Amino acid sequence: MSWSVGIDVGGTFTDLAAVGPDGALRTGKVLSTPADQGAGVADALARFGVPGAEIARIAHGTTVVTNLLLERSGARVVACLTEGATDLLELRRQERAALYDLTAHHPAPLVDHTRVVAVRERMNGDQVRVALTREECERVADAVAALEPEIVLVALLHSYASDAHERLLAESLRRRLRHVEVVRSGDVLPEIREYERTATAAAEAYARPRVMHYLGMLERRLASTGHPAPMVMTSGGGMRTTHDAARGAASLALSGPAGGVVGAAAVLRAAGFTQALTIDIGGTSADAGLIQQGEPLVEPGGEVAGIPIALPRVLVETVSAGGGSILWIDDGGALRVGPRSAGANPGPAAFARGGTAPTLTDAHVLLGHLDATHLSGGVTLDPAAAQAAIAPLAATLGVAPAAVAVAALAIADAAMARALRRVSVDRGVDPRDAVLVAFGGAGPLHGTALADLLEMRTVLIPPHAGVLSAVGLAMAPERREAASSVMLRADAFTEPRCTSLCQALAARAEGEDRRYVARVRYEGQGHELDIPVRDGDDGHAIAARFTSLHQLRTGFTLDRAVEIVAMRLAASGPQRAATFARSAAPTFDAARRIDEGGPCDAVLDGPTTIILSDATVRISAGWRARALAVGGWLVERV
Amino acid sequence: MSAQTARFDPLGLAVMSHAVAMIAEDMGSVLMRGALSPNIRERRDASCALFDARGRMIAQAAHIPVHLGAMPESVRAVMARPYASGDVWILNDPNHGGSHLPDLTLVEVIGDGSEVIGFAAVRAHHADVGGMSPGSMPFGATELVQEGIVIPPVRLVAGGVPDEALLALLLANVRTPGERRGDLAAQRAACATGAAGWRALRARVGASALDAAAGALLDYAERRASARLEEVGVRRGFAEDALEGDGVTDAPVPLRVEVAITASGRLQLDFTGTSPRVRGNVNCPVQVTRAASLFVLRTLLADDVPTNEGIARVIDLKVPDDSCISARWPAAVAAGNVEMSQRITDLLFAALADAGVPVIAQGQGTMNNVTFGGAGWTFYETLGGGQGASAVGAGPSAVHVGMSNTRNTPIESLERAYPMEIERYAIRRGSGGKGKHAGGDGVVRRYRVLEYCTVTLLTERRHRAPTGAMGGRPGAPGRNLLNGTEVPAKCRLQLQPGDVLTIETPGGGGWGG
Repeated sequence: MSWSVGIDVGGTFTDLAAVGPDGALRTGKVLSTPADQGAGVADALARFGVPGAEIARIAHGTTVVTNLLLERSGARVVACLTEGATDLLELRRQERAALYDLTAHHPAPLVDHTRVVAVRERMNGDQVRVALTREECERVADAVAALEPEIVLVALLHSYASDAHERLLAESLRRRLRHVEVVRSGDVLPEIREYERTATAAAEAYARPRVMHYLGMLERRLASTGHPAPMVMTSGGGMRTTHDAARGAASLALSGPAGGVVGAAAVLRAAGFTQALTIDIGGTSADAGLIQQGEPLVEPGGEVAGIPIALPRVLVETVSAGGGSILWIDDGGALRVGPRSAGANPGPAAFARGGTAPTLTDAHVLLGHLDATHLSGGVTLDPAAAQAAIAPLAATLGVAPAAVAVAALAIADAAMARALRRVSVDRGVDPRDAVLVAFGGAGPLHGTALADLLEMRTVLIPPHAGVLSAVGLAMAPERREAASSVMLRADAFTEPRCTSLCQALAARAEGEDRRYVARVRYEGQGHELDIPVRDGDDGHAIAARFTSLHQLRTGFTLDRAVEIVAMRLAASGPQRAATFARSAAPTFDAARRIDEGGPCDAVLDGPTTIILSDATVRISAGWRARALAVGGWLVERV
Repeated sequence: MSAQTARFDPLGLAVMSHAVAMIAEDMGSVLMRGALSPNIRERRDASCALFDARGRMIAQAAHIPVHLGAMPESVRAVMARPYASGDVWILNDPNHGGSHLPDLTLVEVIGDGSEVIGFAAVRAHHADVGGMSPGSMPFGATELVQEGIVIPPVRLVAGGVPDEALLALLLANVRTPGERRGDLAAQRAACATGAAGWRALRARVGASALDAAAGALLDYAERRASARLEEVGVRRGFAEDALEGDGVTDAPVPLRVEVAITASGRLQLDFTGTSPRVRGNVNCPVQVTRAASLFVLRTLLADDVPTNEGIARVIDLKVPDDSCISARWPAAVAAGNVEMSQRITDLLFAALADAGVPVIAQGQGTMNNVTFGGAGWTFYETLGGGQGASAVGAGPSAVHVGMSNTRNTPIESLERAYPMEIERYAIRRGSGGKGKHAGGDGVVRRYRVLEYCTVTLLTERRHRAPTGAMGGRPGAPGRNLLNGTEVPAKCRLQLQPGDVLTIETPGGGGWGG
């Protein structure tokens, strides 16, 4: 066995975690290189030092898609849409961008209406209402060519039911434009609801050429140093080869946050738990997630930079509260935290890198939660600068600076608790029945305070809390996905039909661990639940499982036909096993409460702090922390 | 600021603001998960709010502006009766805390033992509450009783014990009792969630601290609203407008308002001169007028000002008695909620613009209500249009403006479920008013029906265009066409297979000459 390496590119740091031949974990951190993410990746590998020949796999979490959607630096797409419905991307779902800010606009569509070509054809379900003729295909191909596309999108109405017209048109386009790729909506997301399908396919077309370029460059860069080709984490928490990933560019949009929840799930299982809420607190934001039966909750949906991407993604809800969030006083006289952030640059005042605005980190420094000598990334702390930054707020409010700091932490906790409640209550999970996994650079500082607000009894501080996303990447299995529209009532979905559909999907996605999921709803409902499908199932078995999940999630069932909308397959390779264990040294420094991963069986009562190599744990009063044999700490309410 | 709120530590404001908003959001989650009907679950035509023992609204999770700040009336209506800990009251009577009949409001009296410590209220638009036509938004109604079952505040649950006889009476008067029963169960669950959250918060911070915090939160929202108005400065303005017919006749229904922003940061609205109550159902109760006023004020404030009753304190409302915007029994009001509410918003924006406040030009000013009914099926939808332009830029196109924000129905879902096809769904390019910044464009939606059916149109701004601001041009008025021939703004039509109905929604007004 050789090494499996995970590399997570964040806004500030590029984190590396590696599972060695013996299952042991090693971690590291370098500064990110936003202009060319690949440079930071190469730098992290160089720092890691293990020769490329001894590395079996490099797994990469990337923000390249997120960034190109935010910066609008994707490809020039020409779209072919059904005549009469060419404005779909602009019409969206007709709700406005903000309830009260009436001047707010949704982000402009990724494909401007001047680059949409109308296609004379019409399906209704799988019935042809207006046939797509050869002449029409040629006319459309000419019109598309005249618009000089970098890539072409074909998204026709009802293609979830029959993609015959989409295929026909795509063939004509490929013949006419030999060097231009064609993306079909029925291929990207074969599901009913034209806006979501078309918008997702548009994101795919928009991102694909840049993603191909980036991954190609990265592959060559790593090859030059003798490293294997990287794999890439998808929003759904699986790994793909660069070749597959480049053809599923839209599914990389939430690559980074997914890695964190995957890593949290691995640690949770190692510690012997199955249900958890996760909170990953970084410099500018906090991500809340949910783990059930030891696996991250994966659901389709979500938006990136205002662009809906209706593909499966590890559920993560983000709030603007992180270490760099700026403290301020509003026009009603209330102290506030964020959403503005000092970010990594100039950063908190206490980092003495030019920042003067008071931040959440400064509040922690002022209260003595952070040890000046032990902070990752080579940062030294300047407590006087934190004090100076917070003093003006304290003067305005007429209280002591420490009171401002305490209040600021309480405000951030309240905002994050709201996000944790949303991910759990929305899915019928009572937070009191779950463990809170707190990670990211600032997560362990807030764990017990959040648990207090949510009446949770157990907090898990994972080992490697500051680089847990990279750990998740190193361990995640390779995964391929395939999907197909079904649109049948459960009673018409017979066992042979189910089996043959599963076989058809399996032929499109290899992997020894195959998980089939049916997207199911009551007829007439507007959204679906994901129901696991097993060998030998028929529609009735799926409907029965759907009914009990519906009861659990919503508190009721209906006397109404059950409809299977689509089937998806996620086929995974083996998960890379990591041994979570404490290393041989250095021994826990009980006097200064420094835990660098070595032997420790301490039990500590709050209020206190524990210093980890990449994060600081704060234990509130009323909580007791026990060092875990697998590394990290289990904190329980006394 | 009262004496007791002075004791509340202002450092705790943002924390308490999150804590109470979280409870209201929890209520919303439970309601959306539990509700049966798409109107509540998908279109989110529902709101949840939390009140203290004095009936002050501390937090609201609003998904739709027309419910904004309207629920305090419901709680006050319950408080006027002999309520007790553990009760859940139900009401829809516009004369006693309701808005229009499809909006059923549940109010739980939150108790700690026998002591009443607060109220949790949940309002949801039900797909049918009886009356003369399916959907309970009848065309041509002239009396409230034609629009559905009228429910004054009554106990659905008394001291924890459900009144099954009352529920049976209510369900016997609606077309879809099973769905109503489920939606009401979801509303009760949402109320219970609010009650549990409020009790837990009270246990955590203590009764007197929570009372002080509630007062401080209201004062805080009031301060922020007031600070914004002071920043706008002393202003006076005037506007008049009219609805294009009351649903029975085409005679315009005039509205007028004088607005003043005072030096002390108050917003005075005087609707004197507005039409008396009309015969058709475009009337609304004063709660809807208050909601529209609050919405317009809310658009002037930063998004992060918490939604509680404190904002409403800076508004002085003067409305003529029993007018079309303060209609009383036995006035029909079903359409007032959807169309009169829009016109009040338009009127207020025009008056603020006249006063020199930098608000947007008028948007489409209608929800474009389209209801099809055939053998064994009904289908209702509302259509977006152009938003008005503003000093900062063009108006957004093809969105719901004003008091609604519900989503569209996907073409693919609609064509699968109903005997019709959407031939065209497009931006109505060029319909936004010209100006330095153009108004948003409306939409075109063309339906081809495949079976015999009726269609009821309840639309506005077909003649009186949305006006521009600061010299901007008006948006294009909307048009309704049957097989290419224009039909009235409000009408009921019999359709044959192959008939084509086209709705062109209005564009928003432009800004700047």
